[in-house]
Amino acid sequence: MLERLKSKRLYSVVFLTLVVLISVSLLLWINSFTSVVVEAQNDAKIKNILESIFPDLTEFEESGEIFIVYEGDNIAGYTFTVAGNGYGGPISILVGMNSDYTLRDMEVLSHTETPGLGSKITEELFTEQFAGLRVDEIVLSKDGGKIDAITGATISSRAVTEAIQDRMIEVIEILSGQG
Amino acid sequence: MEDKSNKEEYGVRENRGAVFWKELVKGLVISNPVFILTLGLCPVLAVTNSIDNALGMGAGVIFVLLCSNIIISAIRRTIPPLVRIPVFIVVIATFVTILSLVFEAYIPLLHQSLGIYLSLIVVNCIILGRAEVFASKNSVPGSIADALGIGLGFTLALVIISLFREILGTGGLTVFGFNLFNIPVLTEHPMTFFISPPGAFLVIGLLMALFKWIGVIKGD
Repeated sequence: MLERLKSKRLYSVVFLTLVVLISVSLLLWINSFTSVVVEAQNDAKIKNILESIFPDLTEFEESGEIFIVYEGDNIAGYTFTVAGNGYGGPISILVGMNSDYTLRDMEVLSHTETPGLGSKITEELFTEQFAGLRVDEIVLSKDGGKIDAITGATISSRAVTEAIQDRMIEVIEILSGQG
Repeated sequence: MEDKSNKEEYGVRENRGAVFWKELVKGLVISNPVFILTLGLCPVLAVTNSIDNALGMGAGVIFVLLCSNIIISAIRRTIPPLVRIPVFIVVIATFVTILSLVFEAYIPLLHQSLGIYLSLIVVNCIILGRAEVFASKNSVPGSIADALGIGLGFTLALVIISLFREILGTGGLTVFGFNLFNIPVLTEHPMTFFISPPGAFLVIGLLMALFKWIGVIKGD
């Protein structure tokens, strides 16, 4: 009788549907507790990155694409990523901003600039120039601002500077709007 | 008369044990999935660059092979022939996803270094092959033996290959963070060729020849 049943198309459809339902239920159950662990890990990773910019951080909060960093009850500052277009491709930058909207720290996360020239945007000699500046000062010195470009890598230097300034203006606008 | 029936019973039980063991050993050398059956070679090339990855992948494949063989063998008489391949794949994919979720939560480093090859276990020919050729036609204990044998054979192959590639390619051996040993001259000038894919092909080819030669000597 089972052999006759097995050759019926309806049986095949019901069987496969049942197998899929059982499989999905099992996966949902397993996922319910593993996803909690994975989320905790991601939070720990983000906390580490934020702590490298704000060592006295007590907690943080994510608002859209901006991380708000607290030291106790006060807002210590904000952290966000910047996407720029360099000479050799996209540049990804992490920017830490103080609560008074001056730049606190910046770090180039990834880039594909020319080794030995544009790649120097990751070096402290270039990046430490940004610390403490107001958003209107974040312009190349040859364009009237306070950032000295890397010799032989003006395009890379300008790309980073402009990307940071543009994004900072955006972020400040968002934050002022929120009040 | 009682003695005779006892002897017969003992004979049957002993036979079953021997068959179980034979199926298991079969997967290790005679039907080694990598060197003899040449199945699932793509992930083998990719994860044998370090012994950590090899052991992790081997453990994962044993888990999936065992689970899928047991389930498929248990329901083999009820599976309608029309949809048997989709059923096999859903079962296998379920266990691979469970493996991936668990690794991501509890062994994130291994999950990251195995990367996409963890999910690709679903299409590893070894697992689908054993389901179709063995588990769907044999008993559950037999399928367990087959899964263990083939899974251990796969892991054995991965470990041997990764030993060669890691020792020659980096000059030393590091297992789960514990540096076992370093060979002095080799660490300064490692043969990095062996870490690259062409190096993997070379090692696998030579080991395959060795396994075939062992088979010829044994007369199989």
